[in-house]
Amino acid sequence: MRWLPLVVGALLSASSPSATVGSFELTGTVHAGGRPKGDAIVWLEPASGRAAAQAAKAKKVVLDQRTSTFFPHVLAVQVGTTVDLPNNDRVFHNVFSFHDGKKFDLGLYPVGTVRRVTFDHSGLSRIFCNIHPNMAAYVMAVDSPYFGVSDSQGRFAIASVPPGTYTYHAWRAGAPEVTGATTVEAGKPLEIAWP
Amino acid sequence: MAVTSFTFALFVAALLHASVARSQPVAVEASQSGGYSTEEIAAVATQFRGFGEVTPARLRFNVEAAWGTRTAGRTDVFGTAYPYTGPLQIIEAYGERTFLPGGALFGVKAGRYRTPFGISSASDHAYMGFMRAPLIRYDNYFALSNTFLEHGVDLIAGTPHLSVEASAGVPGDVGTAIRRPGLNTVLRGQAAFGPMIVGVSRIDTQPYQNPRFARGNAVFNGIDVRFMQDGVQVRGEWIDGRPFDGTTTTGGYLDLIVHRPRMGPVTAVARAERLFYDAAPPFAMSVRRYTAGTRIRIIDQLAAQVALVHQSRQIPQRRPTALDLGITYSIRR
Repeated sequence: MRWLPLVVGALLSASSPSATVGSFELTGTVHAGGRPKGDAIVWLEPASGRAAAQAAKAKKVVLDQRTSTFFPHVLAVQVGTTVDLPNNDRVFHNVFSFHDGKKFDLGLYPVGTVRRVTFDHSGLSRIFCNIHPNMAAYVMAVDSPYFGVSDSQGRFAIASVPPGTYTYHAWRAGAPEVTGATTVEAGKPLEIAWP
Repeated sequence: MAVTSFTFALFVAALLHASVARSQPVAVEASQSGGYSTEEIAAVATQFRGFGEVTPARLRFNVEAAWGTRTAGRTDVFGTAYPYTGPLQIIEAYGERTFLPGGALFGVKAGRYRTPFGISSASDHAYMGFMRAPLIRYDNYFALSNTFLEHGVDLIAGTPHLSVEASAGVPGDVGTAIRRPGLNTVLRGQAAFGPMIVGVSRIDTQPYQNPRFARGNAVFNGIDVRFMQDGVQVRGEWIDGRPFDGTTTTGGYLDLIVHRPRMGPVTAVARAERLFYDAAPPFAMSVRRYTAGTRIRIIDQLAAQVALVHQSRQIPQRRPTALDLGITYSIRR
């Protein structure tokens, strides 16, 4: 029976989104004013008539607090995802979001402890700390399993995208959202540009 | 100060290189602030901060530098957390490592850091509605300066809810209150109960006043309390001690900071404070100050602050009532 775990593993792997037949990693770049832009969120909405977005994966998502700063500064999650907000600092924090998106106030909590927030509807949440006014982060909850955040070179990657036609959305702080249509196919990058 | 801007640049470059070489996140922030007070004082300041983590040692580093200038010399206006004495100065440059074995908390910090007495003033950088240091944390009133810095080692031990912190070092002060060379020790205990944090602190250090009349050590004890729930924060400190032999300085402040969901980008603040300096006439002081203000986040990177201040006539000033206006723009990469 030593082969049983291998078979079970193979079956699970075949049924997971990352192993969807014909799907691949969509890559691309984000530019603004002709320069690459990091911390931009890109997500795809499947075209109408296609299967609805998959349920949020059980993958652990963390918005860390270190050196009186949130890491990462920009986080994208699928609607329904629960995000861990651990305090890995040496001081207390009081994380809250009062404006758009998910509204919450986690209260004071010390180093070594974790609070959790489920982002149960789509939209942008601005995250702050009541004690340290310079701490700020963005969490974008999207109603799609296909999303990515650009790195400092403006590059992003979205895993396991089935080929087809999608509406893409792109967001970055301080800029209007960019929307358009794209056909996802092997070897074709998605280029996002703000003027 | 022996540490020059060039040395600072080299230090930051080395830290950034070390971190980038290991593909760890490094963040750099800059804040530009400016202010005007109806006491006819204007100020501008820039703060830089670089921080991150170096693996596999999981050593965190934090480097902060600030530059500021003001149209008046000895004043506490806009002096929330760093001095306005000209060139770029390193405020903090330290490495720290924290351990959390089995629910316990241990940490070590070494380098140049703010004196860990009471409620840290670091979070007041670039204003959070208050644009003046509390009377009891302003050096010109024979109090405990909020710009004291240590060159030393700081240890913390306990649990996340109950901890003891000890710091030993020599003065590394910036600004106009420069302590004499010598060993400084700071002890701090802190306990947390739900939405409340209570701390007690003690510092034994060297005076910064003229040695012709300021003899002996400066010793202060303090108690601080913070309470925060549903967007309402109440915090305060009461400090008692002697800036040098034969005198005592006592005082404290109570802050109310309110940021409720319906207030959107507006935070309302209020402060009441007292200070007593017991010394031979005409140097003795007994003063009060009251502040009401607001901090408004205009856009994510831009915040404005307005504060109305009313204070005792014994405090050196142009008018007993003043309006302070400040604005801060922050960027991060």
